[in-house]
Amino acid sequence: MLAPPAPSLAETRDNIAFDALLWALSRPGLPRDLPEPGEGSIITALLDRECLVYSADPLLMPEIMRTGAELADIGKADHVFLGAMTTSDSLADIAIGSDYYPDDGATVIIRASIGSGPAIGLVGPGVDGVVTPQLDGLPDGFWKARAARLRYPMGFDLFFVDGARVVGVPRSTTIEEI
Amino acid sequence: MSLSTLTKPWEAMSYGFLDGSAKRELRRKMLKSVAVPGCQMPYASREVPMARGWGTGGLQVSLTLVNPQTRVKVIDQGADDSVNAASIRRFIARVAGTPTTMDTLEADLIQSRHRIPEEVLREDQVLVLQVPNPEPLRPVQPNMSIARQMHADADYGRMWLQLYEQIVRSGRVMQGASYPSLVHGRHVMTPSPIPRWDVPKLHMAEHLTILSAGREKRIFAVPPYTRVEPLVFSDVPYKVEEHGHLTCTRSGTKGFFMNEVPQDDGSSAFEVSDSEWGVKTIRARDGIGESRGETWYKDGEMPQ
Repeated sequence: MLAPPAPSLAETRDNIAFDALLWALSRPGLPRDLPEPGEGSIITALLDRECLVYSADPLLMPEIMRTGAELADIGKADHVFLGAMTTSDSLADIAIGSDYYPDDGATVIIRASIGSGPAIGLVGPGVDGVVTPQLDGLPDGFWKARAARLRYPMGFDLFFVDGARVVGVPRSTTIEEI
Repeated sequence: MSLSTLTKPWEAMSYGFLDGSAKRELRRKMLKSVAVPGCQMPYASREVPMARGWGTGGLQVSLTLVNPQTRVKVIDQGADDSVNAASIRRFIARVAGTPTTMDTLEADLIQSRHRIPEEVLREDQVLVLQVPNPEPLRPVQPNMSIARQMHADADYGRMWLQLYEQIVRSGRVMQGASYPSLVHGRHVMTPSPIPRWDVPKLHMAEHLTILSAGREKRIFAVPPYTRVEPLVFSDVPYKVEEHGHLTCTRSGTKGFFMNEVPQDDGSSAFEVSDSEWGVKTIRARDGIGESRGETWYKDGEMPQ
């Protein structure tokens, strides 16, 4: 019998990163641990030549380019890296898919501080009752701009990255600012 | 950029059989299917060394999720030891080096065809269901472009009509398995071909359920704590199979989903469908140790 193949370091990293992302999105508002700080492991776990990517953070560019992903305008991209946001204007341009194909809505990765700043109340699938995570470093009017774009099932899905921690907020989650 | 950064060391086989691009595509689609519960997301569905229709959709999801620490359980019609389940379990263990188990409580990842185990799944467990036909609208609308439009419009009138016609014709809903259910109040899904008995287990469950149809190339999900409501009329309540009063002839357990075993004299014997639950019951009866966990159904009833 063949010995089972051992996962390479890259495979292990991508697997852990995806596990964190999947659980973060299944349990909105609850932080999970990425294998390493920053967006790097998200990029390698999700992106390849089939993806259209927009990045507002030039420091992420080399890593994105290494995956073979194509760069695109924010309105066309299926993965959007906004880095640390200063204004919430860019939310107005992100692809939200269509009623036919809600999966065309983008995955958006943003830097924020988890565990400090204003608390928000999350309700929806994956949330047992209500969770109230604290997120800091988001521009004013962020949640209003998000709500203005969402037409469930159309919308975009958010990941907030703080070091090696990640919090997910899918489009199905309703936000209440506290 | 040099050649070494563009290549990787030679491997006899990718870990988990699927190559990197197949896994990344599945990952992207899994995230989207969790974000829009119950909505069917198209995906590429690669070849695996198994005929389509035998669980290739579930297998691809499992192979993407596993790592050498993931304890895998595979069931087919409730049984861990049927050919399909045993083959898939052995395949996953062989290509991903995962430990395997038959105990629902020990498993991290449960791939299943036709059943949800009787023991309550926890928050840290993932249930992967193999789906033969992901489209609940197919009996009423065979054209899948129009069906997609109907999903987009949340136009489910014909689903209700179908149920109504069954009640008028037969006096009850004849839908035995894959009972159409409304997920998060928006998308109607067919919850794999699980029996009516198992559908309430998905409602506000603690675990994540991923449903994947390999032949049809579609994937959808039910995240934890998500509403899954079977389509019913307000004056015709949802009924599960009347198995609550049946006793398993092999283990003596009572109040769970049963397999009917026809006897020579024309009568029927019953044995519990969730084989590991039967094994655990026999072990407890023989005093070898109590390992049974909490069950969804209690005394043949699902508490509301």
